[in-house]
Formats: sequence, structure tokens, C-alpha cells
Amino acid sequence: MSKKKKGFHDQVVEAAQPIAVEGTTPANSVREGLDEVKTYEGVIGYIIRSTASAAIDLKDPTKIVDYAILSSLALDACRELTELFDLGDAKSIAVEGKDVKMLSAVVDGNRISIFMDKTADTGRILRRLHVA
Amino acid sequence: MNDEVCAFALKNTLNEIQNICPDIKNAFIFKEDGEVIAGDANTPEETIVRALNALDGIFDKADSINGVEGITLEGNKGRVIVSCMNDLYLATVTSGKADMKYVDTVIRVLIPTVLKLAKEFNPTSLKNNPTPSRTESDLKPGFSTYKSSEPEEEPAEESLVERPGQPLEPEIKPEAPLPDPPVNQLIAENLGGLLVPSDTVRVDNDTLSQWAELYEGRKIEEVEVETFDGKTARCKVRLIKEKKYEGKGIVQMPEKVQLVLEIKKGELVRVKPVVE
Repeated sequence: MSKKKKGFHDQVVEAAQPIAVEGTTPANSVREGLDEVKTYEGVIGYIIRSTASAAIDLKDPTKIVDYAILSSLALDACRELTELFDLGDAKSIAVEGKDVKMLSAVVDGNRISIFMDKTADTGRILRRLHVA
Repeated sequence: MNDEVCAFALKNTLNEIQNICPDIKNAFIFKEDGEVIAGDANTPEETIVRALNALDGIFDKADSINGVEGITLEGNKGRVIVSCMNDLYLATVTSGKADMKYVDTVIRVLIPTVLKLAKEFNPTSLKNNPTPSRTESDLKPGFSTYKSSEPEEEPAEESLVERPGQPLEPEIKPEAPLPDPPVNQLIAENLGGLLVPSDTVRVDNDTLSQWAELYEGRKIEEVEVETFDGKTARCKVRLIKEKKYEGKGIVQMPEKVQLVLEIKKGELVRVKPVVE
């Protein structure tokens, strides 16, 4: 019997019920890295999604769905643009808003997004997550 | 300096930027609603449309971070940088070995200078086009360009004022002039089948609704399709039937129309409604 494939929004809702959902845990080292990054100055929180699970740790739970959608769109755009302009493997994409900055990347198969104030040091975060 | 001249100046500036900084592979300028203002000579318009289509979702959902001020994408072999300059966005694609400080200095000096000059020559340039908002038209990737600079006509609500001593006569109001037809940039797609008329193209519901809204319910029966080589064809227009083409910025056209226009599937054309 074939399983119905879950849409992204279903996954977001699923992840949005409790603030942190843990199924089959994503690579522990990535989670450890993200937990450390979250202590950095200006970091608001993060979202991590693997094929089997999602975890969200954000200070403001009202933003979970919006941030999750933006994160997914940014990573999709990153893949499409790297293909379109032949930029090799995509390393990261940073979207800077007027108040908040989002840094997204795929690390060890996990789609991660870190949300931070504009003053936060993205270079340090990338180095910690071994993306740079 | 009108919009076309300004766009020409920006295009030349982008080309010059590439001359002095060869590590910039592609550069183009666009508005938040997806309207392309100018692109360098090396970047085909179709590539720009595809890039904007990829970025469309981010711009659409950026309310949660209060709009987009910049995007930086890092790849193994290069990067894409989108910078906000006033109400415009400049996208540059650089090679991996590019000196980013130099690139940043060049683009942050030259483009704002040209924009400032354009504004000084004509303060309304690049700003007075009443482009429809993304939510209204949701054009993907058919970016609409309104060439009309006339303000929208207010609904005529002039009441008949009684003047003492004068009999009340109904005034004959002149018909409000129709706005200039919007130009949609759409990607040509094949339209085949036994019962398909050879003089009819198909566009999606978003485009037809946008036109209907602009012309207050007038049914648009015909469109003018123009290629970037200047070839034009006037065709009847109908709604796209296949759901998969909805919202994709596609214009389906039969082989005969493609032959007349000397284009093939995948090429970009300009489509505008014919209102008589």
C-alpha cells in the first residue's frame, strides 16, 4: 500500500504543535552545533528538518509557521539559482530583512535555518556549523 | 529621462560594471513585484525571469522579516547577491574567485549614482508606473509592465448641482479614456490537438482576470503577441485548460502562430490585450 506523501505545510503544522518535535533525530552533531549557535549573541532560534523529522527552537512561537515557510522557500531558491547560474554545490543562503536575518543551509542532509538579529555574526555561525 | 532611457542607462552601466569587474557574470535590476528594469547583455531575459521566479517565494513571504533588504547565496563556484537600492533590487552573480570588496564597492557606487542621476533628470522616472501588486496579479513569471503613466481614473461621481435659475439638464460625460494595455512577458508553450484553432492562443486565469479588472469587465477577445525581434501577431485569446500551466507565466500557442512569429516553445514573448 502506498503512503500518501506529506506536503510541506503538513510537516510545518506537525512541527508547530509542540515547539520542539523529535522523531528520528537529525545528526546529533548538527543539533549540538545549533544548540551552541543559539547561545550566540543575537540568535533568535533555528529550524532543522531532515527527511524524517523536524525540530524548531524559536523564542517567538507565533513566528514558527511563517519562518518555516520562508526557510523552505529560501532553500528551494538556493537550489534553483545555483543550478541556473551553474554555481556548483549550494553552501548557504542568507536573507536579510529589515529586522531579522535568516541563514539557511543544508548540512549533512538536514535543511537548517537560523534566525538572528541583523547584528549577529553569520561568519561565526557558518564556521561552527562547518558550512564556510 | 523617461523609463526607457533610464533602463537603457542602467543596462549600459551593468555592462560597464562587467567590463571593469569581469568576475561579475550576470547582473540585472528588478522591482519587488518582479518587473525587470534592466539586465546586462550577457544575461538572456529568460534567465532573468527564471531567477526572479526562484526568488519570488522569498519576496512573497518576507513579511515575517519585514521585507527583503538583501540576499546572499553562496555556492562552490560562485555567489548571487541581491541588494536593495531604494525601491529597486540589483542581483549580481559572481564567480567564486571574485574580490567581493571590490565588487561591492563597484556596484554600490555606480548603480546608485545612475539612479540618482535618473531621478534628477526626471523625479517620476521608474516610480510612476502603476504596477499591480503581487497579490492582485500573482504573476509568475509573467512580469507585467504598465507603460501608462496616467493616473487611474477616479470613478465619475460628479453630482448634478442645481443652479438657481437654470433648468437641470443631464450632462453628457465624455467617455473616460482606456488605460494603455499592460504588457505581460510570458513563456511560449506548445498548443496542439485536433480541434485547436490555429489563430487562438491561451493564457492563464490570472492574466485574463488582471486584464478584466483593468478594463472593468470588458471581455478581452484578442491579444497582440510580440517577439523580442519585433515580430507581432494578433490572435484570439482563450483560457488555458490545463491546471499545470496555471500561474506559470505561460502562453500556449499553436504551431502556426509560432511559425509566424518565428519562435519556439520556451521563448519569451510580450502579450498585451487588444481593447477596441
